Amino acid sequence: MSATISVASARSQRWRLRGTRLRTFAARYSGRKDGMLGLVVLAAFTVLALAPDLFVGPLETATRATAHAFDAPSAQHFFGADDLGRDMLNRTVHGARISMTIGLLATVITLVFGVVVGLVAGYSGGLVDNVLMRVADFFLVLPTFVLALILAPVLIEVVGADAEFLGIRATLLVIVVVIGITSWAATARIIRSQTLSLKQRMFVDRARVVGVGPGRIILRHILPNVVNLIVANAVLTFATAVLTETTLSFIGLGDPFQPSWGQILNGAQSSGAAGLGAWWMIAPPAASVVLVILAFTLMGNALDDLLNPKARTRQ
Amino acid sequence: MSGRYLGQRVLQALGTIVAIVLLNFLLFRLMPGSPERILLRNPNLSPQVVEATRARWGLDKPLLPDQLVAYIGSTVQGDFGYSFKFRGQSVTSVIADRIGPTLLLVGLGELISAIAGIAIGAYAGWRRGGLVDRVGSGASLVLYSMPYFVIGMPLIVIFAAGLGWFPTSGMTSVGGGDRPFPANLIDLARHLALPLATVSLGLIGQYSILMRSAIIETRSEDYITTARAKGLRDGRVLRAHAFPNAMLPMVTLIAINLGYVIGGAITAEIVFSWPGLGTLTITALSARDYPVLQGIFLLVAVSVVLANLAADIIYGILDPRVRG
Repeated sequence: MSATISVASARSQRWRLRGTRLRTFAARYSGRKDGMLGLVVLAAFTVLALAPDLFVGPLETATRATAHAFDAPSAQHFFGADDLGRDMLNRTVHGARISMTIGLLATVITLVFGVVVGLVAGYSGGLVDNVLMRVADFFLVLPTFVLALILAPVLIEVVGADAEFLGIRATLLVIVVVIGITSWAATARIIRSQTLSLKQRMFVDRARVVGVGPGRIILRHILPNVVNLIVANAVLTFATAVLTETTLSFIGLGDPFQPSWGQILNGAQSSGAAGLGAWWMIAPPAASVVLVILAFTLMGNALDDLLNPKARTRQ
Repeated sequence: MSGRYLGQRVLQALGTIVAIVLLNFLLFRLMPGSPERILLRNPNLSPQVVEATRARWGLDKPLLPDQLVAYIGSTVQGDFGYSFKFRGQSVTSVIADRIGPTLLLVGLGELISAIAGIAIGAYAGWRRGGLVDRVGSGASLVLYSMPYFVIGMPLIVIFAAGLGWFPTSGMTSVGGGDRPFPANLIDLARHLALPLATVSLGLIGQYSILMRSAIIETRSEDYITTARAKGLRDGRVLRAHAFPNAMLPMVTLIAINLGYVIGGAITAEIVFSWPGLGTLTITALSARDYPVLQGIFLLVAVSVVLANLAADIIYGILDPRVRG
């Protein structure tokens, strides 16, 4: 009876401790001007991405276009129109939804895969670690984008471009998977090295001595201690994911029916907008991409300084 | 640098190249029905013709080991098969035609951005918090967040479509390459200016950010304090003591960066219709010309592995602490 009470009180104490730590962290983060700027920009784009219909109505297509081809910015169409007379403001806001959803999904896949491999490799050591890290090295050496370039068309051919899953078309899902396949290795490396040093710590030895299995040790004792790293890494991974998605869509691997910013820029490129001086077909999606990536980079750097044990000792 | 360190790196690079070749082989066979589907698309072919074609291309033999051995054999000899899109041309000749312009663009771009990035970064790091540092670091961060085509498209809008200083696309004007000596070179330079600016701007941010942090790190080293204590002038401490040591990580980054630069150059080439590997990639991609895509992938991937190996070796020579 007394044992259960002490377990319960230990648990509540742990939660209190976590609450305090979170508050300290929030206070320290809000002291970083660059990090806060990134957060504000990101929040603005997240709102747009959550409910694009609310701000600009449904996505304009060739049949639903409301302007004339190549219309310059005006009072009715703040950002002008593209080569098919579709309102650029409308498409850019809808692009936020696609670009950020793809970025988020790709980040989740990258992190889940990278974290699992990193934890397993770091904790098991020996042959398992060796094999997993050789594979990771292979993916680290290969340039993400060039590998994605050859993987994406093959995968699209395998699943078929018109398949759909949870309302997302297969082409976009392939991009998500390709980004995941090509970028998990960096995360795995970071998590592995932290796991290696955590493994030597007393609390892991204690858990092992009282007979806790390896799976539980990884989940309950090591994972909570790498959460900091995962968070800092997630933000930077998101920036890379958005960048890769934009580039892949730009070169024509995106989906014209669910246009991301890269896809919109692909449209501008193939209609020759730049040479015609139609800057309004380029500026809105291009500025959005740069702002979002910049916001993530700023937040990522701030978080990395605050959360990464190695970065903190620098400066 | 010990022989063991060198041997280890060379072995690792070889292993990676083998893995790349295997991946290239398997990926192509992953697609449903390929390569039979492409070779034998006509449904009216008689079974004899189908059999003869399969035998001619070695498709009647098992995937492992026969087809793999044949694939590795021809790959080693530089035979990457035939392009689907450019009929009758081998992948090697298609790629060889396009490699020059890309080398020109990437090589000059690397050179300009490395020099400019190192200069800006070193100065910004040395005078930390000064004007150059604040403006340079801000600009570097923004440039670092821009994909190459996002840099290139506004350049066309402003300098080609707007001001008319440079042509919007291509590598030569019609007949421009046939003009007598200085004229053809000027024509090329005018076409090269904007793509080159794009690649250089895309890289400068990354180089100056790393150089800045490398200089800041060396500033706190003991040998810098010693140099100052000896009474050396500020500029000399930077040039003779801080700079050479801060260059160590730069050497590695520039070599490792090759894959990233080629990836970026692909999109820059598309924006400017530069007749290099990037535009070839897009043509191959839209025509689903897999042999050419594979050839480009193999070429880029192997170059990247070799560049990494070179970086390791150079680092080992420059930094006597590296023993592997």
